[in-house]
Amino acid sequence: MMEIAGEQIRSAAPAMGEDNGVSPAERRDRQERRTALMLISPGVLWMTLFMVLPMIMVVYVSFWTQTTFTVEPKLTTDSWVRFLTSSTYLASTWTTVRIWGIVLLSTLLIGYPVALFIGLMVRNQTLQTALLVICVIPFWTSFLIRVIAWRPMLGTEGAINMILMKLGIIDTPLTSLLFSEFAVLIGMTQIYCVFMVGPITFMLSRIEPSIIEAARDLGAGFGRIFFKIILPLSLPGVIVGAIFVSVMVLGEFATAASLSGRKVNLLGNIIVSQVGSLKWAFASVAGVILTVIIAVVITALLRVVNLRKEM
Amino acid sequence: MEARALKPVLGVYCAAFILFLYGPMIILAILSFQGPGGGPQFPIIEWSTYWYQHLLGMTPPGRISRLPIGDSLLRSLTLALMTTVVSTVLGVITAQGFRARFKASGIVFYLVILGMIVPGVLVGLGMALLTNMLGIDRSWWGTAFVLHVVYTFPFAFLVMLAIFNRFDRSVEEASLSLGVSPVQTFRRVTFPMIFPGVLSAMLFSFTLSYDEFSRTLFTSGRDLTLPLTIYGTFSVEIYPNIFAFGVLTTLFSFTLLLIYALLMLRAVRSAQSFKGQEEAE
Repeated sequence: MMEIAGEQIRSAAPAMGEDNGVSPAERRDRQERRTALMLISPGVLWMTLFMVLPMIMVVYVSFWTQTTFTVEPKLTTDSWVRFLTSSTYLASTWTTVRIWGIVLLSTLLIGYPVALFIGLMVRNQTLQTALLVICVIPFWTSFLIRVIAWRPMLGTEGAINMILMKLGIIDTPLTSLLFSEFAVLIGMTQIYCVFMVGPITFMLSRIEPSIIEAARDLGAGFGRIFFKIILPLSLPGVIVGAIFVSVMVLGEFATAASLSGRKVNLLGNIIVSQVGSLKWAFASVAGVILTVIIAVVITALLRVVNLRKEM
Repeated sequence: MEARALKPVLGVYCAAFILFLYGPMIILAILSFQGPGGGPQFPIIEWSTYWYQHLLGMTPPGRISRLPIGDSLLRSLTLALMTTVVSTVLGVITAQGFRARFKASGIVFYLVILGMIVPGVLVGLGMALLTNMLGIDRSWWGTAFVLHVVYTFPFAFLVMLAIFNRFDRSVEEASLSLGVSPVQTFRRVTFPMIFPGVLSAMLFSFTLSYDEFSRTLFTSGRDLTLPLTIYGTFSVEIYPNIFAFGVLTTLFSFTLLLIYALLMLRAVRSAQSFKGQEEAE
């Protein structure tokens, strides 16, 4: 930051001498650009030092030599070979992708009708805002508490089993609700669903009601209106929601750690456990693979819709 | 009409969705009033505030160890406060910088936004590796703090960018052309106008940092923050004291939200009275 500021002072000096050749508007533009650079440099510096550099470090260390308790900066592809030939780690990569896919689909399927109701059916602005606020309020509860709240719901003696038994639907409590992949899926769906509902609602509420009315007057049924008008117009919202959900689910480890009883091991869990046993190089390999997956997913999602054009 | 039949159906569905969102927390709140001998599930053997007392250290020491929340709460609050100040300042000045057009704005924008996209476990790992190599000790007020800012700064930046986008430049230019210095103009003209945005940026930064743990996990060193203390209970058996804690921390967040709402209301009101004055003149 200091350096850039210094450069500005230096470049400011000749600029003053050239006053006659430069129009006042141009000079003001230049001045403005200089101030802008000065203003953004602390933020840029912060992100470079504390985000970009650590990420580069992850890639770099993934090629270091791992000994029992430490890593040495001797370059090797050992950790990579070990990761890519181990069925356990490949399985956890596959689990991560599978869980991501299922949660993405379930948040979309569960969230879309909610967005349809709030964004399109409720035309009263106050009620619309109130409903959205109701959906967002749970986020003011600690994330970890929200995860742990599923334990008394899903346990063998939990609320769901209790209700099902009282209703006479089952005789013996279901034991596979908690500490299973199902628990992880339902927990993640509940926690991340709102990130899907929000953007879709936003896009739906911008649809001109007259367009739908016109389609209806011309004799289109609801199905046709939905697939020809509503769905395409809400697609940018779906993509933004999908990006939110994807990024959060792919980087997850806490929900799996709390609700799966170690049955579900995501890449995030691998990283945590490898760091716990000081296998830094190995954790880095998992980190790089996770980064690549996230980058591919986001790029693919952005391919579907040109967000800049739509927003 | 199909659509007309659809509306009540979707209404009921929406109500069910809200129940799905709130259900676990409601159950958790009910179970936090479990009696002393009861477990973290139904039935409630006896209604009591025993676990709240247990949490606050007002019960005689027993078989179940207390959650060590005292120090970690203090740490988390300090950390959230530090993060709030720094990320709000960074957010304001960076967004202010974005009001002028410059060549690298696209790259800088994505660089900042990346901070909220990159999973916490990855930057946390990277930071841990970096400090390992450089031989720096990790601490919640150092390594964890800078990562919290990396996470919350983009939110503050986006909020401020939205505010500046709807901002009437002519008022500022009037002040500047009347000979008021840029610093004074910012303090007396710009800042009051962007204050609601600053307040929102602060709220975002504080709550995100207060609840953040994946970035803290590898970088906080020996001293734990509040979310890390809770995370520690994941691997052991849980007791209703963590439910009681969940209720209390939720109430705390709601208090923050209330303060925010009140401040916001005041800011909006004073802006309105300012407008009224203008019209009266």
